[in-house]
Amino acid sequence: MKHGILMHESEDDVGVAVEDLKKGSRIGAVTLEGKGVGAVKLLHDVPLGHKVAMRDLPKDKPVIKYGRRVGKAVAAIAKGEHVHVHNVKTLRWTVL
Amino acid sequence: MKPEEMKLTGYRRPDGRYGIRNHVIILPVDDISNSAANGVAALIKGTMALPHAYGRLQFGQDLELTFRTLAGTGRNPNIAAAIVIGIEPKWTERIVKEIAKTGKPVAGFSIERHGDLRTIEMASRKALEFAQHASELQREPFPVKQLLMSTKCGESDTTTGLASCPTVGRVFERLEAAGATMIFGETTELTGGEDIVQSRCVNKKVLAEFNRMFKDYTHLITSQGVDLLGSQPTEGNIRGGLTTIEEKAMGNIQKIGRCQVQSALDPAVEPEGPGLHFMDSSSAAAEMVTLCGAAGSVVHYFPTGQGNIIGNPIVPVIKLTGNPLTLATMSEHIDVDVTGILRLEMTLDQAADAAMKVLESTINGRLTAAEALRHDEFVLTKLYRSA
Repeated sequence: MKHGILMHESEDDVGVAVEDLKKGSRIGAVTLEGKGVGAVKLLHDVPLGHKVAMRDLPKDKPVIKYGRRVGKAVAAIAKGEHVHVHNVKTLRWTVL
Repeated sequence: MKPEEMKLTGYRRPDGRYGIRNHVIILPVDDISNSAANGVAALIKGTMALPHAYGRLQFGQDLELTFRTLAGTGRNPNIAAAIVIGIEPKWTERIVKEIAKTGKPVAGFSIERHGDLRTIEMASRKALEFAQHASELQREPFPVKQLLMSTKCGESDTTTGLASCPTVGRVFERLEAAGATMIFGETTELTGGEDIVQSRCVNKKVLAEFNRMFKDYTHLITSQGVDLLGSQPTEGNIRGGLTTIEEKAMGNIQKIGRCQVQSALDPAVEPEGPGLHFMDSSSAAAEMVTLCGAAGSVVHYFPTGQGNIIGNPIVPVIKLTGNPLTLATMSEHIDVDVTGILRLEMTLDQAADAAMKVLESTINGRLTAAEALRHDEFVLTKLYRSA
């Protein structure tokens, strides 16, 4: 396996780790069709199935996966960061 | 692989539908009749009791759903014959009557004025007759357009959206073209991708019905005024990397591929006509698969990420996973391995071929992992408190 990150769409903000990835390593990303989407240096350990930021995301920016909004950044997220419930929240079912 | 190439065999029922299993069930109408149902199943080989937790003091829509679920379970083509046992005769007969419309053997017994022991004896004598009848039935070939199956995923993670759900979507596209009938549901778990389902509704009537169901269920969720993180997405979803309901929904919706939605059904209602049908339902696995069985589904595709282990007593549940950790640690639960998609060693079409091979062998009698492990979760959906 040459890639460590899989992406639904090449323009997505996040990719999925397809194995446990280590902080500091440089990991290649591809789409499901096998198209290369460059590489990213990891700022955290990212376990299998968890997401990696493929670009810098400012706070409050909608997060794009599947080419669609799947939530919004609730903190500034840097390229290579672990993206999960600590820095992204739903845009739906918002409890006031 | 084309669906028409699958060589399918099943049991032709008197109503013309085909079952892929040949169960004789002992169906309690209510919780307090579970003991008698278990008693009959313990005595008579080839019968199976379906104990459950409800059936008393229910009313209105909630009661109607329980009746529809119990009767639908008996009507399911995987059932050769049914014994219905309730505490009193009136509700028992209501369910017997609905099952009898299929033309299959069915008999009802009630416990009041007999007691458990005499009821068990009477019901067992009938169950023995039904078990012998069922044992004489033979499989025969049937065309794929006679197939009614369902799907729902569970303990999803990011791999279900990448691999196992799109695999089901690809198979469903092929089945749609071949004239088979499919059911999906999980109403609130479409949140964030509901526009995709809306765009697939075949006409305005179906769209309006889907929108009403989606709005009502979403209102129930938001009216509780609580943060659903941990419940939906579940803690298992979060552990697997899913962050929001929208992300989870987008994975979930991959299961319908590019299929059109022919109708929006109330829970446990049998679909009319071929193609893909939406059924208003919870995303809790055992509840949803039980409703699919009551709607006549004879086999179920269940993509899982983190490893939901659910099964159903009357509907064989086929598990697919694209998660290599789940495959390595929980292999006894997995029927179809599509982890190759993550390694780009398997195309979606190859994964769909693998899933169809298992579908074919399951239909022809091979036990699924969940069947062999005795995962017999039969769970009624409760809409609100009993009186």
